[in-house]
Amino acid sequence: MSKFIEIKNLNFSYKGDEGESIPVLHDINLDIAKGEFVTILGRNGSGKSTLAKIINMILTPDSGEVIIDGKNIAVELSDKELMAVRRRVGMVFQNPDNQLVATIVEEDIAFGPENLGIPSAEIRQRVDDALETVGMTEFARHSPHQLSGGQKQRIAIAGIIAMLPECIIFDESTAMLDPKGRQEVMDTIEKLNREKGITVIAITHNMEEAVRGDRIVVIDNGHIVKQGKPTEVFADPYELWDLGLAVPQVTELFDMLRCLGADLPESIITEEEGARVLARLLKNK
Amino acid sequence: MTKIELKGVSYLYGGKTPFEKKALNNINACIEAGSITGLIGHTGSGKSTLVQLLNGLLRPMEGQVLLDGRDIWEKRARMRDLRFKVGLVFQYPEYQLFEETVEKDIAFGPKNMGLSDEEIRHRVADAAKFCGLDQRLLKKSPFELSGGQKRRVAIAGVMAMTPEVLILDEPAAGLDPQGRSDIFGGICEYRRKTGATVIIVSHSMEDIARYCDRVLVMSKGQVWAEGSCDEIFNRADELEAIGLDIPQIARFVRMLKAEGVDLGDNLYTVGEVYRALIPYFKGGDGGAS
Repeated sequence: MSKFIEIKNLNFSYKGDEGESIPVLHDINLDIAKGEFVTILGRNGSGKSTLAKIINMILTPDSGEVIIDGKNIAVELSDKELMAVRRRVGMVFQNPDNQLVATIVEEDIAFGPENLGIPSAEIRQRVDDALETVGMTEFARHSPHQLSGGQKQRIAIAGIIAMLPECIIFDESTAMLDPKGRQEVMDTIEKLNREKGITVIAITHNMEEAVRGDRIVVIDNGHIVKQGKPTEVFADPYELWDLGLAVPQVTELFDMLRCLGADLPESIITEEEGARVLARLLKNK
Repeated sequence: MTKIELKGVSYLYGGKTPFEKKALNNINACIEAGSITGLIGHTGSGKSTLVQLLNGLLRPMEGQVLLDGRDIWEKRARMRDLRFKVGLVFQYPEYQLFEETVEKDIAFGPKNMGLSDEEIRHRVADAAKFCGLDQRLLKKSPFELSGGQKRRVAIAGVMAMTPEVLILDEPAAGLDPQGRSDIFGGICEYRRKTGATVIIVSHSMEDIARYCDRVLVMSKGQVWAEGSCDEIFNRADELEAIGLDIPQIARFVRMLKAEGVDLGDNLYTVGEVYRALIPYFKGGDGGAS
């Protein structure tokens, strides 16, 4: 697969109150392929949101390269070039109430494309397509404040999709939602990735969500400390606990059972698979 | 013994306008003294309105809120006492920190209660301990702290008033797994040491199963059910229908049953499921064959 994002030797620091620099990211090297679904994990303050903001060009790195589809965005860009990059990499934030601007759902989704100066007939088409993709067509004429948290987040996602991005970054986009809302948003994210081929970067503290991606990248103290397929990253619960993280509940249970001498694999991260594997083992005993 | 009782409580937003919305409709519920009660429900089910009624921030339009058997609105003069007795920690309370130092911020509540300096010092030290805040942090500005630390300072500020009822709205939202368990550990410790009644609003069914004795389920402005974790999470399909769920590990137990291995009922935490499985691997009774 071709690379969509290449990050090379990236460093970033914030300016403190007295002008001193507070390092946040150290020598980050990371490639993300076109169409990949990457989850970023890390404790609070590890630097994961900062990394997301650099990819979306809200922040500019101190040094290193951030190459998006062959173009280095870590150098001075004209406003026009900046807009072009932002359109390709969209971002959905945590709070569903902070991201909607219009009083009617479809107008909110049209806000982005309108700013791009797209002809109105095409805007209509994009809004309809985006609503359909997130499963919110019937709410087109509703007011956003009448919607549930999960529905609001799906409208925020539709607003990004209407810009036809190639990559979307989700910065803890399910953290404030109830179980149903979380499910709706996770299903939508997965659909965008699998069916529309959109590259997904999801930052989360929810291990069940991390299970869904192709790859997990763990950041701690500004460094990438671990990466791999979810089954690989979750194989050692103790290492994750040391990083302030956790593993899915079923993975934790299987680890405890292995300590009892049970012959169970380390790669169990979903309930479905766990139930199948454990049932087979118990029946053969 | 009942600590809080709600009798026929209703609450309406935007009354007499076209935007009128009944947030709570004839709520009847009891909160057991000394319990940790989980308050769950989908977005807009009325949880936040309910907790604001419990410490008198909102006044019921119908019905009564009773604390230790007395209507909290009976005498206006008692409202000040009520606020010290019923401590409410809002969502994202770290945005409410304002003092120069962590110590002063935590001491703000006790100071307003008119306690002696000596007593305030004790209260601050105890509250900081419950929340796992190191002594060294007390002299720092709250704004130098990380998000998780600020959250703990805000919770300590309410604990320092030693409320008899401690209510927390999504106390662990946005925190990493370690931060979550630190916060919940501190809340359990506070209950254990003071015997207080605790109410926790959460969207995490795993946390509810792990830390709560009782669960109050809201749906569409009404109490949908009240019971122990076992009684509530037994109703998995119905919970799903009202936008909720059961803990991940409980879903696993259901799937295991579908595969022909029945571990029994009332297994909602990893520890409980583990204990149910031990006999299978120790060669004791209850083999699956």
